[in-house]
Amino acid sequence: MGPLGELPSAWKKAGRIDRRRFLRRVGATSAFSGAALLGGHDALHGSGMLTHSQAQEGEGAQGGHGNNGHLGGTVGDVDNARNGFDPHEILTDFDGGEVSKDSRGRTVREYEFVTTDKEIEVAPGVFFPAWTYNGRVPGPTIRATEGDRIRVKLVNASAHPHTIHFHGFHSASVDGIPGAGEALPGESFTYDFIAEPFGTHLYHCHSLPLVQHIHRGLYGAFIVDPKQGRPDANEMVMVMNGFDTNFDGENEVYALNTVAFAYSKKPIQINAGELQRAHVINVTEFDPINSIHIHANFFNLFRTGTSLEPDEFTDTISMGQAERHMIEFTYEHPGNFIFHAHVTEFIDLGWLSAFEVV
Amino acid sequence: MATTTAAKGRAGIPAWLGWLLPVVAIAALVTLFLLLNPIGSLREVPAVEAVAVERTVLKADEIALELRNDGPDPVTIAQVLINDAYTSFEISDRKLDRLESSTIRVSYSWEEGLPLGIALVTATGVTIEHEIEAAALTPEADGSTITIYALLGLYIGVIPVAIGLFWYPALRRASKRWIGFFLAFTVGLLGFLLIDTVAEGLELAGETAAALDGLSLFALGAVGAVVALTAFEGFLAPRRANQSGEHVGRSPVGGLALAYLIAAGIGLHNLGEGLAVGAALAGGEIALGTFLILGFAIHNTTEGLAIVAPLGSEKRRPSLWHFVALGAVAGAPTILGAWTGGFLFAPAWAALAFGVAAGAIAQVLWQIARGMTRDHGLASGLGALGLMAGLVFMYVTGLLTA
Repeated sequence: MGPLGELPSAWKKAGRIDRRRFLRRVGATSAFSGAALLGGHDALHGSGMLTHSQAQEGEGAQGGHGNNGHLGGTVGDVDNARNGFDPHEILTDFDGGEVSKDSRGRTVREYEFVTTDKEIEVAPGVFFPAWTYNGRVPGPTIRATEGDRIRVKLVNASAHPHTIHFHGFHSASVDGIPGAGEALPGESFTYDFIAEPFGTHLYHCHSLPLVQHIHRGLYGAFIVDPKQGRPDANEMVMVMNGFDTNFDGENEVYALNTVAFAYSKKPIQINAGELQRAHVINVTEFDPINSIHIHANFFNLFRTGTSLEPDEFTDTISMGQAERHMIEFTYEHPGNFIFHAHVTEFIDLGWLSAFEVV
Repeated sequence: MATTTAAKGRAGIPAWLGWLLPVVAIAALVTLFLLLNPIGSLREVPAVEAVAVERTVLKADEIALELRNDGPDPVTIAQVLINDAYTSFEISDRKLDRLESSTIRVSYSWEEGLPLGIALVTATGVTIEHEIEAAALTPEADGSTITIYALLGLYIGVIPVAIGLFWYPALRRASKRWIGFFLAFTVGLLGFLLIDTVAEGLELAGETAAALDGLSLFALGAVGAVVALTAFEGFLAPRRANQSGEHVGRSPVGGLALAYLIAAGIGLHNLGEGLAVGAALAGGEIALGTFLILGFAIHNTTEGLAIVAPLGSEKRRPSLWHFVALGAVAGAPTILGAWTGGFLFAPAWAALAFGVAAGAIAQVLWQIARGMTRDHGLASGLGALGLMAGLVFMYVTGLLTA
């Protein structure tokens, strides 16, 4: 009897289970192949994704994928009309505000943000009691050029005190914290400051308790362009967020721009060969780290968007809370390419997206 | 009498209407309450969502959950999470009204022996969590599994009890002192079973959908069993008075009748035992090992002794058929329990069944204790020893199944 004879019985048992798992996997794979053949025309549900090499050859051969051929585990669709916002529109919805010039010729951008308490659908059939700026989560994307004067009037139509705290330079009196720019219910406050430095920034409510005020939906993108501008690109705002729907201190839903699996069920259409610029902002609460990884490609990383030259060339970047980066990339060939958090547990809970390169 | 007549005359209400009036009044109150909702403002609190997972069935690459709305408000199941991943699923009815049940089917290649964390996300974002400790195929009610469960019941219930009955010839030759000892032993044994049954029943009551109130079901079963057996005893007593037989102490029922009562009590307990073993086996909580079966077999053999103990002092030997019947009454319910537990288990019914068993055992306990003579009673030296021996023996053999 060799050393195998000495194996503890538990090991032998484990070996038996492994064989069973193996058999089951084989079974699952063959079942899947059938599903892929049947549902091939449906971009991702039929798992009709192209591998990189297949795409380059320009062939429509279909690769296998687990989970019964479905990407995005939720059943049904979110009613965007009822929510009052569409994640696909939020992507490219840059708001320059009401533009005028002041006496010194400086561009003034004026906004009105109304805070409301509103139930939003964050996954099909799952409703979350959100607090919103202008009825949407994330709030409007403020887009300005460095040196512009920003005037945002906060009108509090909600049941709780709120503020807007901007990441950027401003005076203490408009910092947007309790005691310096907090609007009580029924009241309003105007924040007035110069947009600087240039970069990919964010704003959020800073009333207390802070976790509640941020997690409930009071945040948004604040993009400041450099004076000299940047190369032409298709720009997108991607706010990585999460929702603790049962209020136990852990998120049940993760997403890009609020709705779980919104961009895997309906991929984001982009053009092959065109420069893509994404402003990726992490506002996830309860988890210290979120991340983004794009498939079959690498991106130029501009940390916080505060430089004109890239800091790094990579395909995955992790971000702490309130950390945000600008990423640039180009897909050369058509096909479907997913991108997602590489904190992989978030993928299964909604943070899974896809580009459809045409 | 005069006052009653006067009252009757004054009111002029017929008796049937007198009975009916309060019923009509409460019906009117209910109707008004539902129509006007006078405390509507007090109910403006968030819905209380509670769903009990009453049964899980694991098939090859499929998980099925039987749900029941356990709370006061309707619940809508929006999504299903398996091991923290959203998964596609089918549901017979998404919206569950109070006490309504529904079945969810998830296509999922679960792995044998590994835990499965299941969470149902409701429309309001509440999660209803259910943990399967170790995934295993749920036995289906086909020919072979029905046979296996029947054999299981046979091994742990019927055969051991039947073997225990063979103590009868020895008991017949025993002195009154020793019969007293064995009766006390029976009391100890039944006392142990009573505690065991109550503990199991209360545990199951805790698992029952809250709206179905498992504790009340348990109590209902227990009180019902006591009342039914007491009535049965009352039915036997007059017949016994006409017979010329030997008394077992001051018990109103004869030795044979007492033996049947004990058999019935033990049978109901074994129904519960079979239920528990069958359900645990089906749910993958225990493995069907040789040691487990032998443990139950040794444990239950003593139950046979308990049944024949009151026959020891009977002058006439009961016919052999009585022994077969006694064995069947006490042992066969194990098979029934194993089937029910394996294929149809629901905690609510189990709580009721355990309640019935507890009530029956308590009634039989009381019956034996009352029937024991002062000389050879529980307080006598040998009696106390027998009582302790019964408790200790059940405890020690019980360790074999732990």
